[in-house]
Amino acid sequence: MSLSLQIVLSGLAAGSVYGLLAVGYVLVYRLTGIVHFALGDLVGLGVFVALFVTAGQGAVTEATASGWRFVLGLLVALAVVPALTAGTWFGIIQPQVGRGSTLGWVAATVAIAFAIQSFISVVFARPAYVFPDPIPFHDAGRDGIVTVAGATFQLRSLYVIALGVVLALLVEYVVGRTRFGRGLQAIEQDAEGASVVGVPSDRFVGLAFGLVGAVAVVIAIAAAPSGPFSATTGMLLGVKGLVAALVVGFRSPMWAFVAGLALGVVEAGIASGTISGHGLGPAYREVVPILVVLLLLALRGRVRTLEPE
Amino acid sequence: MTAAAGRTGAALADAAGEAKAGWRGVHTALLCLFAFACAVPWIAPGWVHVEELAAWLYLALSATGLVATVGLAGLPSLAQGGFMTIGTLTTGLLAARAGWPVEATVPVAVLASLVGGLVAGLAVVRLDSLFLAVGTWILAWLVFLGAQAFPGISGGAQGYVVDSSLSTTGHYELALALTALAVVAVATLRRSATGIRLRAVRDRPAAAAGLGVRGDRLLLGTFVASAAVGGLAGSLAVQLAGVTDPGAFGPVVSFKLLAAVLLGGASYAVSGIAGVAVLGAIALLARLWSHLQAGSAAEVEPMFAAVLLLVVLALRPEGAPLLERLRARVVPAVRPEPARAGRPAAAPAVLSARGLVKHYGGVRALDGFDLDVGRGETVALVGANGSGKTTALRALAGALPLDAGEIELDGRSVDGHGPAELASAGVIRTLQRTATFGTLTALESAVVGASLHARHSGAFRALASTPKSRAEARELRAAALEALRTVRLDSFADVPAARLDGFQQRRLMLAGALAARPRLLLLDEPSAGAARAEVDGLLEILSSIRAGGVSLLVVEHDQRLVRALADRVVVMADGKVVPG
Repeated sequence: MSLSLQIVLSGLAAGSVYGLLAVGYVLVYRLTGIVHFALGDLVGLGVFVALFVTAGQGAVTEATASGWRFVLGLLVALAVVPALTAGTWFGIIQPQVGRGSTLGWVAATVAIAFAIQSFISVVFARPAYVFPDPIPFHDAGRDGIVTVAGATFQLRSLYVIALGVVLALLVEYVVGRTRFGRGLQAIEQDAEGASVVGVPSDRFVGLAFGLVGAVAVVIAIAAAPSGPFSATTGMLLGVKGLVAALVVGFRSPMWAFVAGLALGVVEAGIASGTISGHGLGPAYREVVPILVVLLLLALRGRVRTLEPE
Repeated sequence: MTAAAGRTGAALADAAGEAKAGWRGVHTALLCLFAFACAVPWIAPGWVHVEELAAWLYLALSATGLVATVGLAGLPSLAQGGFMTIGTLTTGLLAARAGWPVEATVPVAVLASLVGGLVAGLAVVRLDSLFLAVGTWILAWLVFLGAQAFPGISGGAQGYVVDSSLSTTGHYELALALTALAVVAVATLRRSATGIRLRAVRDRPAAAAGLGVRGDRLLLGTFVASAAVGGLAGSLAVQLAGVTDPGAFGPVVSFKLLAAVLLGGASYAVSGIAGVAVLGAIALLARLWSHLQAGSAAEVEPMFAAVLLLVVLALRPEGAPLLERLRARVVPAVRPEPARAGRPAAAPAVLSARGLVKHYGGVRALDGFDLDVGRGETVALVGANGSGKTTALRALAGALPLDAGEIELDGRSVDGHGPAELASAGVIRTLQRTATFGTLTALESAVVGASLHARHSGAFRALASTPKSRAEARELRAAALEALRTVRLDSFADVPAARLDGFQQRRLMLAGALAARPRLLLLDEPSAGAARAEVDGLLEILSSIRAGGVSLLVVEHDQRLVRALADRVVVMADGKVVPG
């Protein structure tokens, strides 16, 4: 029943990505009352944009991927994803919200998700890609695996976790301590009132969408070299992020991040068979958390209220 | 025996006459289309693949099932693909692993998806629609990931082989027949009292609840029915395909089905099949594109569908305006019905409320509120804004859980009764805000109220079009028309409520309440927003309602209306009645 350090760390690394996506879902929900179902795909698109700039569409080798091209790829992704995250809000989602059509924005965000996924799979035709690792972790220890004081783990896990925590704290700082963040809090509580007292609601909400996209794409690119990445990976990451956001009921961004980390560890634990005493194998890795969250949703999801009178 | 045969014959003749009266050109066109579709396997040229058409038809069957949930009930469900998968996997497992004959697996597959729909529905249907969308989306992923993770259930990468006893043509004809049946069923449901109430809940849940509609139950039933149809389609589709295909389980199927319903205009019986036809055309386009670009058609297809859906949504949230115009011509004009045999006039109710208390945080909205309304009496409740008048009405209608106090109706406690129970007991409330069911016609809006006392108009009876349900449907329309006449809207019977002006909408709310045969009518500012001349008209209407024998409790600001109407005026301040 003991979780080895390696499992915890690889779980936390995967969980950093879930967690920052969850932070994004929570912020977007609190500001606008919607769930951006395409957030995961936007992040997946960012990873592929970075891959395209770094190494093109072909097979990735150390020779084709260079440090400066990676930096350029990261910058391009950092321009594209926030722009699209905010752009889809203003161009597609907000008009539906304005009409009061839940069906409209749900269908629109899911349509954006599949349009992106389909686009990626057309441009990148292989089943899966390996993202080149810009930092030579595999030179350390034995192929990237180091042993410290008897515990064995992947060095790059530590890097992803650290980056995830830093980004989460950054979001927390921006939302909690800056003038921009106070504006967002005002919009959360009363969008109309906020604009009356001079908060530029549209600009702030757009910036917040951009922030959400930027943070999520940075962590996803940082984590991408850890495993194969395909056109559907982004959407799956998005679902994991949603699961984490649901655990905290879309309330607190920080707790959503923690829930994401926990989800990563639980998945890794189930996959390695150490969490379960009764032989829950790797097959249960993704299914069990979703079942638990659906149960949570059934027990304490926000019940539909009749329209105000 | 002969008597029974005679009655059956008369009932059938009656049904045929009704069908003939409602028959329109568009029905003839649809029938011709259906006959043509039946003949396709024999007359189509060689390049048409009947097997593919049959697969599209099974998708159309599932989409038609989803029309009920998405179009009629307005629930943004993303799980229909998941329910199809449950049907597919059940058939695959039973046929390939347990050695069942494939035909025998169909009812079990339907049952499995029905149970899946019930469990999921109990969890998500009562939730806010945003959480319903998230929940059904995650559910679709659960089914997909589960099928991937457990090859024992899904047959793994190779899939389970399912041998069908039906030929390809047989499947095509079966799919066509079932889809047509589903379209007729949705059309029947849509027009029935149940369907009208369902659409009322979609448009205005609070106003529907005020007329005694039990929204959650209706929504759950619809969700489960859609899931069962999805399971049926999934079970048959895998028999056609011959093998369970893990690629067919993905959430993309749920998206395609939702897209089909919305592309087809969402709330029409033919929405599902029309939308799937659009998706079929997109698939052809994708194939053409992939010939030119040497890519995979399957991969561009979702992109084309998604982009088209985004365009349609941007143009109009509810889908195709063309269908709306078509419908306006299809809807039969209301003909005057023969006056019904006088229904038993229910006695006006006696209401007594003692010591009602309701806190909102530190605010005491009701602070020991007492009120009596005598049999057939008209009481006006007046007071400053914020004195608790609307809260009092909500409490009396059962729409507000009280912190303390006792309400009696005809001397019996109605403690803990919800709005639906009180509505059945004859307490009907109209809302302060103008809240009409926008997409329903004026007549349908009044039917929502009239159907409160319907006894033979449940969903199953309506679908079977039993003689009693048809007779009752006529009665409900007659009662609704009578209510419209009382508020002088009978000439607007076929006009969608959203196209009426503000004062007409206020009167329509009143008509819905009247059609529910109230014994105690709670009116929240009936004159709100009315011009001076309109108040005169309203006064006449309210006087005639009063003369009809009903107890009335009216919250009203207009002093002229209060003086002319009320037997007694009760003044409220700070959550209680001002003595004197």
